[in-house]
Amino acid sequence: MAETGNSKKSGKRSSDRQRSRPPLLEWVAAAVGLTLTLAVLGALGWEGLESAGDDPPAIDAEIRRIVPVRPGYVVEVELRNRSSATAAAVQVEGELTAADGAVATSTATVDYVPGDSTRSAGLFFADDPRLHRLEVRALGYAEP
Amino acid sequence: MASQAANQHPNREYAVELARAFGGAIIFGLPNLMTMEMWFLGFYLDRPRLILFLLVNFAILMGLSRFSGFEETASVKEDLLDALAAYGVGVIASAATLAIFGILLPGMSMGEIVGKIAVQSVPASFGAIIARQQMRGKSEEEQEEERDVAERRGGYGWQLFLMVAGALFLAFNLAPTEEMVLIGFKMSPWHAVALVLVSVLALHAFVYAVGFAGQERPPEGSGFWRLFVCYTIAGYGVALLVSLYVLWTFGRMDGADLGQIASMTAVLAFPAAIGAAIARLVV
Repeated sequence: MAETGNSKKSGKRSSDRQRSRPPLLEWVAAAVGLTLTLAVLGALGWEGLESAGDDPPAIDAEIRRIVPVRPGYVVEVELRNRSSATAAAVQVEGELTAADGAVATSTATVDYVPGDSTRSAGLFFADDPRLHRLEVRALGYAEP
Repeated sequence: MASQAANQHPNREYAVELARAFGGAIIFGLPNLMTMEMWFLGFYLDRPRLILFLLVNFAILMGLSRFSGFEETASVKEDLLDALAAYGVGVIASAATLAIFGILLPGMSMGEIVGKIAVQSVPASFGAIIARQQMRGKSEEEQEEERDVAERRGGYGWQLFLMVAGALFLAFNLAPTEEMVLIGFKMSPWHAVALVLVSVLALHAFVYAVGFAGQERPPEGSGFWRLFVCYTIAGYGVALLVSLYVLWTFGRMDGADLGQIASMTAVLAFPAAIGAAIARLVV
């Protein structure tokens, strides 16, 4: 009894072994998986090493273009984070100074400007900013 | 006949398994793929913690592969192949879905893109590895083998491992949202105590009702207290530790005081306990 049980079991084992020899596609899938795994770990590790310091976010605001729209003008601003630290709740302000000294300001808030990335915002003005002096800057941020 | 056909076309059979894996990756990944906080975490999550989490995830995938392995010969090599394939499926499914949603754009920095995919690849690869046996039609022979696997699962160490995997999955799904912190603030200490008790009770109800894989009844000689201590309390301990680990990974504990950490952990341990309890059902 015990013997038949044993032989049955070993027979099953060997057929299993035959069946379990991985098909070519399994190797291909594993190779793709390995490549992706190493790529993800490598990219994250490299980023981690690169940003090893404790640098705060550094955000440049730049005017990309000025477009006339129905109620006035919209100034498209590009925010570029030159540090690898992410900034949250970034406020951007545009200050329009007319020749007679009149000042108009508009602000916008951007949820996140990730490290080494850019985000865009828009500021509305009633007067044509192209005829006056316009300055844009990032006001501040919160840590995520 | 069916298995003979499978033997003749191992590649085709494996292709079908891969398709199932993609299905599982999408199903388990979607709640996170469509959660804003998860995208944001992709770029600001602390890199060493994220890498450590990916390695932990990979170890869990290898362990789960041992359970989904229908072959008795399941070896470390096969587990490794399985885990790599599942992780690859998780990455591809996450990247494709995020790209369709317009979350990944060409102008973004490498770090942002890889981070977003890496965060999502965790639940997606989990789905990929357990889908391969959940969605498959089973022949009689396979069912018999599955019973063998189930016996192997009966070991206490494996039971604990399954609880860790289940707790980790559910905790990971919920921890990124602001609500974890908010619920912690909303609850008074008495609410928190009640939540802990409810978590333990729910866990015990699952332990008792679900029973033990491959066995109709709890192990012999196990009275209420033994069951309660060895499975329920141990399971809740697993849920607490996993919650702490996940909270730390997501940086939720940075700058929080002990009371806050305790209440956040109690909140997160509730889903983690449920995850620990049902892992033995799902996997």
